[in-house]
Amino acid sequence: MDMVSFYDTEWNIMEQDKLPQQKVDYNLLFILFLMAIVSAIAIHSAQPSLPEKLQSVNFVVKQLQWYIIGAAVIVITMIIDYDRFFHFAWYLYGFGMLLLLGLELGLPGTVTIKGATSWYSIPGAGNFQPSELMKIFMIIVISRIIVNHREKYPEPTVEEDFKLLGKIALATAPPLLLLMRQPDLGMSMVFTAIVCSLVLVSGVRWRIILGIISSGLFAAGTLVFIFFQFPDFFHKYILKEYQLDRFYGWLAPYEYSNEQGFQLIRSLLAIGSGEMYGKGYRNLDVYLPEAHTDFIFGIIAEQFGFIGASIVVSLFFLLVYRMVHIALESHDLYGSYLCAGVIGMITFQVFQNVGMTIGLLPITGLPLPFVSYGGSSLATYMLAIGIVLNVRYRTKKFMFSSDE
Amino acid sequence: MKKKKRAQVPFRLNILFFVVFLLFSALILRLGVVQIVYGEQYRKEVERTENVTVSTPVPRGKIYDRYNRVIVDNVPLNAITYTRTKTTTPEDTLKIAERLAQYIDKPVDKITERDMKDYWILTRKEKAEKKVSEAEKNALKKKGLSDKELDKKIYELTLERITADDLKEITPKEMKVLAIKHELDSGYALTPQIVKNKNVTNQEYAVVSEHLEELPGVDTTTDWERRYVYGNTFRSVLGSVTSDEDGVPRERLDYFLARDYSRNDRVGKSYLEAQYEDVLHGKKAKVRNITDKSGNIIDTENVYAGEPGKDLVLTIDIELQKRVEQIIQEELQATKRKGRSPLLDRAFVVMMNPKTGEVLTMAGVLLQKDGSGKAKFVDYSIGNITSAYAMGSAVKGATVLTGFQTGVLHLNTYIKDEPLYIKDTKPKKSWKNMGLINELTALKQSSNVYMFKTAIAIGGGIYRPNEPLDINPKAFTTIRRYFSQFGLGVKTGIDLSNEINGFQGQNTSQPGLLLDLAIGQYDMYTPMQMAQYVSTIANGGYRMKPQIVKEIREPNNNGKELGPIIRDFEPIVLNRIDMKTEYINRVKEGFRRVMQESGGTAYSYFASASYKPAGKTGTAQAFYDGPIKSRQNESTYNLTLVGYAPYDNPEVSFAVVVPWATQGESDGINNRIGRRILDTYFELKAQRTSKTKNRSSVDTDGGTTSTNLKKVSG
Repeated sequence: MDMVSFYDTEWNIMEQDKLPQQKVDYNLLFILFLMAIVSAIAIHSAQPSLPEKLQSVNFVVKQLQWYIIGAAVIVITMIIDYDRFFHFAWYLYGFGMLLLLGLELGLPGTVTIKGATSWYSIPGAGNFQPSELMKIFMIIVISRIIVNHREKYPEPTVEEDFKLLGKIALATAPPLLLLMRQPDLGMSMVFTAIVCSLVLVSGVRWRIILGIISSGLFAAGTLVFIFFQFPDFFHKYILKEYQLDRFYGWLAPYEYSNEQGFQLIRSLLAIGSGEMYGKGYRNLDVYLPEAHTDFIFGIIAEQFGFIGASIVVSLFFLLVYRMVHIALESHDLYGSYLCAGVIGMITFQVFQNVGMTIGLLPITGLPLPFVSYGGSSLATYMLAIGIVLNVRYRTKKFMFSSDE
Repeated sequence: MKKKKRAQVPFRLNILFFVVFLLFSALILRLGVVQIVYGEQYRKEVERTENVTVSTPVPRGKIYDRYNRVIVDNVPLNAITYTRTKTTTPEDTLKIAERLAQYIDKPVDKITERDMKDYWILTRKEKAEKKVSEAEKNALKKKGLSDKELDKKIYELTLERITADDLKEITPKEMKVLAIKHELDSGYALTPQIVKNKNVTNQEYAVVSEHLEELPGVDTTTDWERRYVYGNTFRSVLGSVTSDEDGVPRERLDYFLARDYSRNDRVGKSYLEAQYEDVLHGKKAKVRNITDKSGNIIDTENVYAGEPGKDLVLTIDIELQKRVEQIIQEELQATKRKGRSPLLDRAFVVMMNPKTGEVLTMAGVLLQKDGSGKAKFVDYSIGNITSAYAMGSAVKGATVLTGFQTGVLHLNTYIKDEPLYIKDTKPKKSWKNMGLINELTALKQSSNVYMFKTAIAIGGGIYRPNEPLDINPKAFTTIRRYFSQFGLGVKTGIDLSNEINGFQGQNTSQPGLLLDLAIGQYDMYTPMQMAQYVSTIANGGYRMKPQIVKEIREPNNNGKELGPIIRDFEPIVLNRIDMKTEYINRVKEGFRRVMQESGGTAYSYFASASYKPAGKTGTAQAFYDGPIKSRQNESTYNLTLVGYAPYDNPEVSFAVVVPWATQGESDGINNRIGRRILDTYFELKAQRTSKTKNRSSVDTDGGTTSTNLKKVSG
């Protein structure tokens, strides 16, 4: 409570120095609005190609409902000062871990889809994926760790940098382990992306970052080497043959007609045949699996061509640009870190989802943020946007900024 | 404290933003590659939903005789074909039929009433509509049928209600359209269907070719018709192919479809054509039709140019075959003319190379009455392997050898030829009493008693006049086992289907039947078995597999020379008989005496032959089992002759079989045929050698060869 009152007084002092400006970032909200339109159009056009049993569900209406719920989430998020997140970070983390542990232990209410136990069934609201919430909690917790570390070591030595990395690793490892066990490769990669972007912004020495990157590359190189030189060893101790299917399907879709290969071929056909200008609204020739969720980008690219697809990608870029802007404007380290985490999360998801539809990355079950149909993921992104807006809302603009 | 933001955070944020920029640029770049660079390819791939391969027939392989004369040829025919797509509607084919009718003539004989009714509905929609009233349609609707079933019901009702008067509306001109439409509709999707291939005039062919543009699916090509150059000669062995209307035999549809045949392909139906279908058929040319989603052909690619069928070279000398058939016909006629052979209607000749088993001639002639009661000759060469007869004394060579081998006979064994009186049996005797004779004379004069006594000895029996004869029934098995080593009573192994084993008498309890077996009057053998048997003796004891196909060759391109050999059929020895060479030579000497020594049963016919033949005559008392129903089981005589020439180095062996030749009167038809076919063989041989000699040294000894020829043929 002390903290709050302290903050409030400071707020009052600062307010007088502040330039008159909109506290709510309408640019970001407008981009979000455009996203909602894109999503509605894409889902509506995907509807006819859905399996028969899903035909009766009006996904556009449901998605718009979720957008409204998401708006409420944003409002709620913005009411609470983001510094509160700072304080409750570990409680939130603990809560998220409990949910994940529940999945691991197979509590009643857990749902297994396609071999992955990643959901809780909530009566009346459908399936809920706790790892979606956990992403946000991770951003909050790791940002806090970094801020605390920075305060403790304003001029960190190399040793102290490693200490920070160690702390981050300790916080990341448990949820990541649980995710791997579900198994949920896509989500694990998102977590890794969040951590990477935060480490980048945390100010850890370049040498160390480059060291991490090069050792990562070296490890990957070693794996590839073992795969080609000692395939038996590789299959026995590292990755089983079926786990490699994903990679085979990605690198050689025409030779390996597994599920991933098949999906990639369909997706490439759909997107490629869209060409420059697309086939026009609701002119879909290629059947895409999961058309309204994971492969929604294929639907967009087929109908609206390179131009339409580029516009959607640019929209995401604008969104990220706006968030970077907010992060830069924030004078609060914690606010900047929160934004950086959200940027890492959204960027990676967009890159992964779009990348997999055009053969740039292997296929994993990640939805396209804001556009794919899906309640719990949309709510999570809205929550993330809410945090960013919150940071922006509570950023004070100085007449003379000393830092810049 | 927190507000003291370090300068490095904005910098790091910019780096992060730069990374984001790079990632998004990668996405846009890759999108550009997929959608702009390769977009057209992907679009085409999407449009090419169906790649359907159509196979077009290639000419069937030809069949040649051993001297490379074409026996079965292909005649090219102008053909107009039509290929339906999967989405072709009756309206489409009607339109095409109407256009085609302007250009070609088509006989209307194949049209069915159903065709006409369908056509009537298609062309008179309004009238057809009225055939089933609205009320009826509504009543049907209420039955809860699906749309498809409903339409079907209504169509059926309409069909029923079309009257003969309605059909009279169809004009002759429309009938022609209908005849063409009938052909267009009878094909299978994406398989070329022949609309017309007989009597396509050059005019028609040219006009249709000119208008192909407006006739989607129609094409002008070359079709092939099978031509049997020598007409009926050897036809029953050559077999036949199905017509394109019959297509692939229904009972073997799966077999053929699995081998890339179309339903309307012409395939070998019988004997050689069927036996060597794989070889003769060739590989079809493949054309891939690329269709868009609505089934229209948007592109065609030639995938595979195809290969014409491979050619067969037979071991048959078609000239000899023809001449032999001619001889048989003449002799049959001559004997029939004497009026003493009411049952005679067939004769067979097999000639082969005893050393290789190559069948030179396989002739069978059948005298058949056609519908008007007029007798005419038809080819029955296949009867050489599919019909069996009692062969009589011709098998005695095998009997003597069996006697040697079982130890009851030794070289130069003398046995008394006298009538045998077995209790409760008619006396069994030779055609004359020969007294004490050895095996050579027994063969030369065809002693039955010599063979009887040999058989009795094999069966462990003792002959005492007027007493019952006791014989071990195992003797049947023993004799049959030795006979089968010559091919008698077993399949000869010729590469033609439907060969029979012959017929074995089932009763082995009566000793008299064993005696009959020893003189060839109990079991029945095919003419081909007889030829194999005599060849086995002629070549010194090797049972050769009779071969009818000599080589498989690549198709020739220029139509003159034969293509390279793909497969050469080597002579195959099925088995070596157990008997010692000296035994075999003994029988051969006996056979020589039959034809070359005064007193031999065929001496009068062959004494003058310069090619020194050897052989054995046969007369079997048989019971008629031919086509004349009223005379079944009537006693009659089969006349046979087996032999080879020259006796000391046989190059040709033969079997002549004339079933049901006489009713008891002597008639030398078997010997006459035998003499004439051997003469013909050597005459043709002389012609061939003189021809090659002329070719190699025309200037030097052209004159001498012609004198040689005269000498040989005289």
